[in-house]
Amino acid sequence: MKQLTPLAQDYIGRFDTALQSLPGHDNPGITALRKSGLETFSKLDFPNHRIEEWRFTNLNALTKGITDDVLAEPIARSEAFDAHIIFTLVNGQIDLGNSVLDNLPEGMRLTSLATELAKGRTELLETEAAENRSVVALNTAFMEDGFVLELDENVKVDAPILIRFVSNGGSPTNARHLRNIVHLGAGAEATLVEEHVSNGGHAYFSNPMTKISLEEGAKLHHYRLQNESKTAFHLSMVDCDIKDGAFYDNFTLSLGARLSRNEISADILGSGATCALNGAYLMRDKQHCDTTTLTRHLVPENDSRQIYKGVLDGESRGIFQGKIHIAEDAQQVAGDQLSKALLLSDRATVACKPELEIYADDVKCSHGATSGELDEDALFYMQSRGIQEDEARKILITAFLTDVIDEIETEAVRTYFAKIATDWLEGV
Amino acid sequence: MLEIKDLHAEVGGKEILKGLNLTINAGEIHAIMGPNGAGKSTLSYVLAGRDGYEVTKGSVLYKGQDLLDFSPDERANMGIFLAFQYPVEIPGVASATFFKTAYNAQRKYRGEQEVDAMEFLKLIREKTNELGIKDDMLKRPVNVGFSGGEKKRNEVLQMALLEPDLMLLDETDSGLDIDALKIAADGVNRLRSPERAGLVITHYQRLLDYIVPDFVHVLADGRIVKSGDKSLALELEEKGYTEMSAA
Ligand SMILES: Nc1ncnc2c1ncn2[C@@H]1O[C@H](COP(=O)(O)OP(=O)(O)OP(=O)(O)O)[C@@H](O)[C@H]1O
Ligand SMILES: [Mg+2]
Repeated sequence: MKQLTPLAQDYIGRFDTALQSLPGHDNPGITALRKSGLETFSKLDFPNHRIEEWRFTNLNALTKGITDDVLAEPIARSEAFDAHIIFTLVNGQIDLGNSVLDNLPEGMRLTSLATELAKGRTELLETEAAENRSVVALNTAFMEDGFVLELDENVKVDAPILIRFVSNGGSPTNARHLRNIVHLGAGAEATLVEEHVSNGGHAYFSNPMTKISLEEGAKLHHYRLQNESKTAFHLSMVDCDIKDGAFYDNFTLSLGARLSRNEISADILGSGATCALNGAYLMRDKQHCDTTTLTRHLVPENDSRQIYKGVLDGESRGIFQGKIHIAEDAQQVAGDQLSKALLLSDRATVACKPELEIYADDVKCSHGATSGELDEDALFYMQSRGIQEDEARKILITAFLTDVIDEIETEAVRTYFAKIATDWLEGV
Repeated sequence: MLEIKDLHAEVGGKEILKGLNLTINAGEIHAIMGPNGAGKSTLSYVLAGRDGYEVTKGSVLYKGQDLLDFSPDERANMGIFLAFQYPVEIPGVASATFFKTAYNAQRKYRGEQEVDAMEFLKLIREKTNELGIKDDMLKRPVNVGFSGGEKKRNEVLQMALLEPDLMLLDETDSGLDIDALKIAADGVNRLRSPERAGLVITHYQRLLDYIVPDFVHVLADGRIVKSGDKSLALELEEKGYTEMSAA
C-alpha cells in the first residue's frame, strides 16, 4: 500500500487522544460517526491530483505538514460589518465575549455545535451520508465546533446574522475543523454572513464544513468572506438541500489564504426552487484559489445560475470547476453558468472546467468561460482624459466586478464586499 | 503652442510618419486632410502619447516643453484633448462617473479642489444644455451601444467639459448628421480663443464651413505635402488628392 502523507499520518496517530476531548466524546453514536470518518479518511488520504476533481489543486504544501513559522504582515481589516446578531468562533472555539446573541428573534436559535451535542442532540448529525470525500471524512472525524442556526417555520429574520471565524496563532494543531449546521423551516428567511479572518499572518489549516437544509419556500442568502491569513490553507465545503419553492443564494468573496478551495454542492430537491451560486476571487502573489461547484437538479421545474469572476495578479492561479447535473426526470430545468477571469499579470493563470451532465431532454442550460487582460484601448482612452494609469486600471477592474457584486441582494453586504474589493485594489 | 519638427514615427515596426513638420500657434485652428492611411490618426495618437506609436526621429514641443517626455494622462492634464476617430466602449463604467473622474483628475493636477457629485452634475448639465446634447447618455456605460454619431457627440461633450488648450479632433465629423455636425462645430467654436488652438482632421470640406480654419494642410504618406488657407480645402474637394499631389 502507498504511504500516507505525513499530515494524514499525524491525524490518524492522534485521533484516539483527540477523541477524548472532542465534542460528543461521551456519546457512542457520535464516536462511531467520527470513527467511520477516520476510517474513510485513512483509506483515501488527502486528495491528490490523480483524482479528477482535484486535478488542478495540489495539496502537497499542506500535507507535508504545516509549520507555524511564516508570519506575513497582518491583514488590513476593512471596517467591520455592522451586525446585531454576531456569533464568534476563535481558533475553532466559541467566543461568547465577542458574540452578540441576546436579541434573537422568537423562533430562531443560534448556538454552538458542541453545546448542542452536549445536550444530546445527535440528530443534528444524523443526515450524514456515507462520504467518499476525504476532506469531509476528515472533518467528520475531527469536527471541533461550529454554529448551529435553526429557524422555525415562517420565521423571517431581516437583520444579517454575522458569523465570524477568527484564527490566531498559537493553537497546538494549527487546524480548525468546523462543522456548521443551518436549518430553515418552511417559509423561513435569513441572511447569513460568514467571515473567515485571521489576526496576524499565521499559517494554519481552516476546514469549515456547512450543511444547510431549506424546507419548502425557505429563503437563505449566504454571504461568505474568505480573508484568511496569506499563509493559511482554507478548504471549505458547503452542502445545501433545497426543497420546493425554496431559494438559496451563495456569494463567496475570496481574497485570503495561500491555497483555498471553496466547494459547494447544492441539491435541488423541489420544483420552483432556485439556487444561485456567485462569487469573486481576488488573488495576488502565489495565491491559489479553487472554486468547485456541483449543482444537481434532481426533480423537474427549477433553476440554477452561477457567475464567478476572478482577478488574478502576480503569479496567482484561479480554478473554476462547475458541474451542472440534471437527472433523467428533471424536465423544464434551467441552468446557467458563467466564469470570467481577468489576468493582471503575465504570470497569473486560470483554469476553467465547466461540465454539463444532462439526462433530461427539456432543459435550458448554458455555460461560458472567458479569461483576458485589461482592455488597453480603454486604458489609453481614460488616460487621454487625464486619469492616471493606475487609477484607470482600478476603474476597469471595478467595472469588471460590478455585475457579480450586484448579485448580492442585501445592500449592507454588497457595500461591505465592494469596499473590501476596493481596498484590495489599492495593492494592484 | 505646438511645434512639430521632422517627426518620424513607427507603428508595429512600420514607418508611418516620415518627416512631418507643423507649427500651430495659440489662437489658430489648423485643418488636416489627406487620403486614407496617410497617417492622420497616427499623428493624433503620437501627440496623445499612445503606446506602440514610437517616435524614431524629430521633436514635438508643446508650450515650450518636450511633449514626448510626458505620459498620456500628463499630456491631457497639460491641456491636450484628443477626440477619437473611434471612441472606445467601456462596459461597466457609467459615463457620468467617468467624466467626473477625468474632470477631477485634471482639477487635482492643477491644484484645484475636486468637485462633488452634485456640483459635477450641475456642471455637466450646463454643458449638455449648451451643446443641445441629451443627458440620458450620462447614466449609460461609456460609449457602450452608442450609435456612431452618439459616440462623436460624447467626445465633443468631454471636450466641452475639460476645456483643453489644444483640441485635436480626429474625424469627429464622420458619421454625424447635419445637426450633430453643428453641435460638434459649436463645441470647438465655443472654446476658440486667443489662448487656445486646434487641429481638426477631416475628410470633408463641409465641416470647415462651420469651423473656419486658419490653415489647411494636406497630409500624404506621412508628410505635410501642401499647406494653404481655407480655400485649399475647396480646391481639394474639387480635384481630389491624386491630382493635387501631382500638381
Ligand atoms: N498597429 C499597426 N501595425 C501596422 N500598421 C498600422 C498599425 N496601425 C496603423 N497602421 C497603418 O498606418 C497607416 C496610417 O494609419 P492612420 O490610421 O494613421 O491613417 P489615417 O490617415 O488616419 O487614415 P483614415 O483616413 O482612414 O482614418 C495605415 O496604413 C495603417 O494601416
Ligand atoms: Mg484616421
